[in-house]
Amino acid sequence: MEMKLPPLGEGADSGTVVNVFVKPGDTITQGQPVLELENEKAVVNIPASAAGTVTAVFVSAGDKLKVGQRMLALAGAAPAETPAPASAPAPRRSRERLIQTPSPEQVPVPDTDADEPASPPKAGVPPMAAPSIRKLARDLGIDLSRVAGSARGGRILLEDVREYIQKLQRLATQPRAGGGAPPPPPAERIDFAKWGPVSRKPLSPLREVIARRMSESWSTIPRVTQFDEADITAVMALRKKYAPAYEQQKARLTLTSFALKVVVDTLKKHPLFNASLDEGAHEIVLKEYYHIGIAVDTEAGLIVPVIRDADKKSLLELSRELEDLAGKARQRKLTAEQLQGGTFTISNQGGIGGGHFTPIVNKPEVAILGLGRGAMKATVREQRIEPRLWLPLGLSYDHRAIDGGAAARFTVDLVQAFENFPEEAVKL
Amino acid sequence: MNPIKTEIVVVGAGPGGYAAAFYAADLGKRVILVEREPRLGGVCLNRGCIPSKALLHAAHAITTARESEHRGIVFGPPQLDLARLRSWKESILTRLAGGIAQLAKLRGVQVLTGRGYFEDSHTLRVETAQGQQFVHYEHAIIAVGSKPALPRAFDLGNPRVMTSTEALELEDIPENLLVIGGGYIGMELGTVYATFGSKVVLVEALDSILAGADPDLARPIVNYARKTFKEMRLKTRVSQMSTSGKQIRVVSETDGRKLEELYDRVLVSVGRVPNADDLGLENTKVSFDEKGFIHVNEKQQTTDAAIYAIGDIVGGVLLAHKATKEGRIAVEVIAGEKSAFVDVTIPAVVFTDPEIAWCGLTEAEARAKGLEVQVSKFPWSASGRALTFDRPEGLTKLIIDPDTERILGVGIVGQGAGELLAEGLLAVEMGATAKDLALVVHPHPTMSETLMEAAEAYYGHATHTLLRKKAD
Repeated sequence: MEMKLPPLGEGADSGTVVNVFVKPGDTITQGQPVLELENEKAVVNIPASAAGTVTAVFVSAGDKLKVGQRMLALAGAAPAETPAPASAPAPRRSRERLIQTPSPEQVPVPDTDADEPASPPKAGVPPMAAPSIRKLARDLGIDLSRVAGSARGGRILLEDVREYIQKLQRLATQPRAGGGAPPPPPAERIDFAKWGPVSRKPLSPLREVIARRMSESWSTIPRVTQFDEADITAVMALRKKYAPAYEQQKARLTLTSFALKVVVDTLKKHPLFNASLDEGAHEIVLKEYYHIGIAVDTEAGLIVPVIRDADKKSLLELSRELEDLAGKARQRKLTAEQLQGGTFTISNQGGIGGGHFTPIVNKPEVAILGLGRGAMKATVREQRIEPRLWLPLGLSYDHRAIDGGAAARFTVDLVQAFENFPEEAVKL
Repeated sequence: MNPIKTEIVVVGAGPGGYAAAFYAADLGKRVILVEREPRLGGVCLNRGCIPSKALLHAAHAITTARESEHRGIVFGPPQLDLARLRSWKESILTRLAGGIAQLAKLRGVQVLTGRGYFEDSHTLRVETAQGQQFVHYEHAIIAVGSKPALPRAFDLGNPRVMTSTEALELEDIPENLLVIGGGYIGMELGTVYATFGSKVVLVEALDSILAGADPDLARPIVNYARKTFKEMRLKTRVSQMSTSGKQIRVVSETDGRKLEELYDRVLVSVGRVPNADDLGLENTKVSFDEKGFIHVNEKQQTTDAAIYAIGDIVGGVLLAHKATKEGRIAVEVIAGEKSAFVDVTIPAVVFTDPEIAWCGLTEAEARAKGLEVQVSKFPWSASGRALTFDRPEGLTKLIIDPDTERILGVGIVGQGAGELLAEGLLAVEMGATAKDLALVVHPHPTMSETLMEAAEAYYGHATHTLLRKKAD
């Protein structure tokens, strides 16, 4: 049987292969990750839909893969569930006898690796294209054996050449996703070794993804960061009071759990921060659900799992889910579903240390909250100096969607929500 | 005379040379065209394509008259006025050559008449009637062509031993003519002389005539020649030739049997040799192969950076249209374009009776290259139009890539095959599929339908034949 890329979840129907974990001859079990796919949100593992022995692998790192496209062939496999292909297969033109017409599952995604010849060129036979097209290709330095022809029998038309050039342009302007091409090399390669010993390590595929997504956010989003501080003395007292009870329920009550609640409450008052910018449609997409991404620092790099419907969950449920997702992120066992659909992101560095920082907006969201480490400060309250625990806040937002005034108001409400956290919400 | 400075000098004003010179002038280059003969046009116009086709056309009238007898139209025996025939033929050549000279003038291409001799990589000395003229050029295009081969053993200094050049002069119609060589020149001129009344014996060293054409295409020519010629001897070599009074004594060998005969004239058509001597190319960096053809790359560049070469002088198929194409490529490369002689389909036409024409891949080439192809044929005997002009012996065939159904080659034998080929040529160059050809409505009744029907036959549904059913 052939194993095809299963549905990835909302909105996503394709991704770029980052890693392939199996090779022909491998015996795999159902659920075992077979490849790592990078899509809209992050890198996810694609589990095997059946057990068996791998006889062929059709994809390699750097390939674009669509839902329903074949990944590998399996022998001795009983299909557990056959995921429906993303689109209905095109009718085969059997009478036409076009032998090289690829069957739907072989149809390359238009954006496949441009380095692969479109069809194996036949020795001694010129490319199947009109003389004018061949001349154009020669003038432009295009190798027609790499261009897929769309006319009968695979004849190459002008529009095929145009499409190929556009593909090349896309590939040239977007650094290839995943394991492929490194970012454009610096104009001058510096020999760092001449000032002392150095060692070099290749960038991991995840690092490449992070780098690409960060640059994309940085270069497309006019970002502003609003700083503030919240007095979390009361919240931390609540935490101390209820932590043992939570522990009995096998949950860890952390500041992030509180932050989740606080953020959701504030988002409800400021729907613009729970939104996305649809540039194509010239619209703001206001979301009526609250899926909060949590930046998790893992050995491999930054991963952002998403807690769904955070507004409908108790602090206990949130605490449990938080711990579960963070653990899975560190073991890279998150599913695609768990990495998608976030509406706002929280990045809490407090566990490590540090003060204010300016997080980068997690596109296509429009805002992200960065939490530093709470610090005791001498605070004047009601004419008296008191030691109070202050939490540094940095709210980065997309200034295209959100104005400074709105951000200031959001922060004020956020601080108030931290400072007036209701005990009922903590009680079990 | 002061040296002339020019951007491009073209040496040789045949179909390669004058086309290159004109094209370069059209692109705004300063061009000098050097021709050693007073009349422009080269072999093609003066001693090749054009006069031979004129004579074939003239001869065809006789054939047509003869063939109309059984249709109830009877002519008397033809009377040949050779002087008038020659001057008619000559008038065509004069008119064409004059046209070329006129076009050169209109384009501002300066024509120098005289032998060109390379002094160095950037200087050509031209020996004009007015004296030596030096030309300093940036780029030279050598297009000096080829001439008929006349092996030393046959070169008796006797005008009765002719090459194509002399044969086209049509000095007389010999009673007995020996044609040595069954290539296209021997076959075409043999046909002319046979039709004008000579008893033609054709000898060929190989075991087939018209090597290069697929045997099924050559077959009607062989049949026609067997009928029209007195004799055709394959695997035959002429070992000796000598003058014997007003005749030529010829000793030939067929399968070890020696034969001594007397002929009134002998036409030696055993191939062509490059005109590479006496050009002063040793003063340049131009290099040659062992046969004397100039080495060029796909951009028509010789091993001398300033010098290009095109046409017969670089070998390959010695055809006018190949030279013309190479001339355009050389000029484009000089003009800085990314041009190259790559994947160019050069069609071939043999103007025998009937004609053979082919382009792209032949069956034999496909086999030699190990390409899996399918051949689809349509015999003219199934064409109404072919029967109306009484020539059902033709054949139209397509060489098809079974994977893509693309037409890789077209071969046609039959009357007018040379003109008919053009559609097939376009199909090959455009990368058309058999389906494309089959789907195009062709006018009835014409021979062009045979291309459509050959394509339909590939799918097993040609209207007028049940020649071949496709397996699937």
